[in-house]
Amino acid sequence: MIKIEGVRKVFNGVTVLDHIDLKVEKGEVVSILGSSGSGKSTLLRCINGLEKLDGGSISVDGFDVARPKELAEARKRSATVFQLFNLYPHMTAVQNLMLAPVEVLKVPKAKAEADARALLASVGLSERADAYPAQLSGGQRQRVGIARALAVNPSYLLLDEVTSALDPEMTAEVLRILARLADEGTTMVFVTHEVEFARTISSRVVFLEKGRLLVDLPTTEFFADDGGLANPRVRQFLSNMSKG
Amino acid sequence: MQYGSFTWYDLVLLGQGLSVSVLVFLATSAIGLVLGIAWATVRFYRIPVLMQLVTLVAETLKNSPVLVQLFLVFFGLPVLAQINVTPVQAAVITLSGNTAAFIYVIAVSAIESVGRDQIEAARVFGLSRWQTLRRVVSPQATAFAIGPLIGLAVNQLQVTSLVSVIGVVDLTKIGNILNLRTLEPFIVWTAVGVLYYLCAKLIARLGGKLEARLRVHSDWKGL
Repeated sequence: MIKIEGVRKVFNGVTVLDHIDLKVEKGEVVSILGSSGSGKSTLLRCINGLEKLDGGSISVDGFDVARPKELAEARKRSATVFQLFNLYPHMTAVQNLMLAPVEVLKVPKAKAEADARALLASVGLSERADAYPAQLSGGQRQRVGIARALAVNPSYLLLDEVTSALDPEMTAEVLRILARLADEGTTMVFVTHEVEFARTISSRVVFLEKGRLLVDLPTTEFFADDGGLANPRVRQFLSNMSKG
Repeated sequence: MQYGSFTWYDLVLLGQGLSVSVLVFLATSAIGLVLGIAWATVRFYRIPVLMQLVTLVAETLKNSPVLVQLFLVFFGLPVLAQINVTPVQAAVITLSGNTAAFIYVIAVSAIESVGRDQIEAARVFGLSRWQTLRRVVSPQATAFAIGPLIGLAVNQLQVTSLVSVIGVVDLTKIGNILNLRTLEPFIVWTAVGVLYYLCAKLIARLGGKLEARLRVHSDWKGL
């Protein structure tokens, strides 16, 4: 379980996260919605330890991310997919997938490579396994990004606006893979602008606004008129999104 | 033939001088590379005190003439610390330090050119700071640095000519000796110049090949 309790984060005097409480159980797909600057991505960066907390605590399977020793354990249990892919440009796709398993999890190289090739095949990239990121399209890069995250066999997949940098066609190819992962029971925390997609794959939807957690409801209730939509800010956000 | 004109045997002397120059260049480049990278690593880890010390030393070496540093080591060390240094030792100490200072600057800026996103991508997957440096940062930084490093190497080869001033019998010193003996400056200095030129070209060529290899991953093939 990812347990977020009373988390606060301040950047230069601006409160970006304000007493956030959130729990993610294994098997859940939790979408985090909210306008730009609402703190969604920062929350994700707090979970994987890229940002220091200014208050509250976050634990992953009981490991406190604020303690360096425990952060290493927490990081072994989660994997992050980035908005701008953040692939290692000097490594081929298959090498990108192998780095963490070999260096961190001490998987033998031959096994790591076989696993990596199988994973790339599962995201439809078996032909491109030996290509460098610069030789791949945006959609292909993000599929490598997802496969790289899956390569460490994470309990939790953290996805940070993974389709924001992609055109609609590439977005569709990435979302197809995420939908399959959700079907397979992968636990995901999904920061996104893809409202419709969030609706189809998530078990729960969380709405952030100016660093505060406004709504946290099961997906059907979130999109119900007497549920999440009863909140005027949520209603406004959703109608703006559908116009866009 | 009052002093003896230029003979074929003098080519052997030039070759000997060249080998001294090349050896000084290779030795000081190797030591400078190790030192410069070590200093940059200190900076990467932000080791307090050591980091400020490294910056101070590098700045001093980078911003003062090599010839002055050479004199300080060769004439200054014996007076200050009662250590006698041979011309070759003084040359190696000075040029190694000087090369290290420039390599440090190149390495630091190359490390800074590797995006923060790369370090984050390595850290969230649980790589330690050392693993991140070794597997993610340094291969990319090396690709950034290789161009400036080749330029530096070509320049440092020419800089070795300064050690002739304190009596190291390098290519330039041989040139001096032959010039005094033959009184044919145009022939002697042309020969010396051509030899430096060929070595510099060789360095640039090998460097170019290395650069191409380090950049196979990139679409950027240069201008």
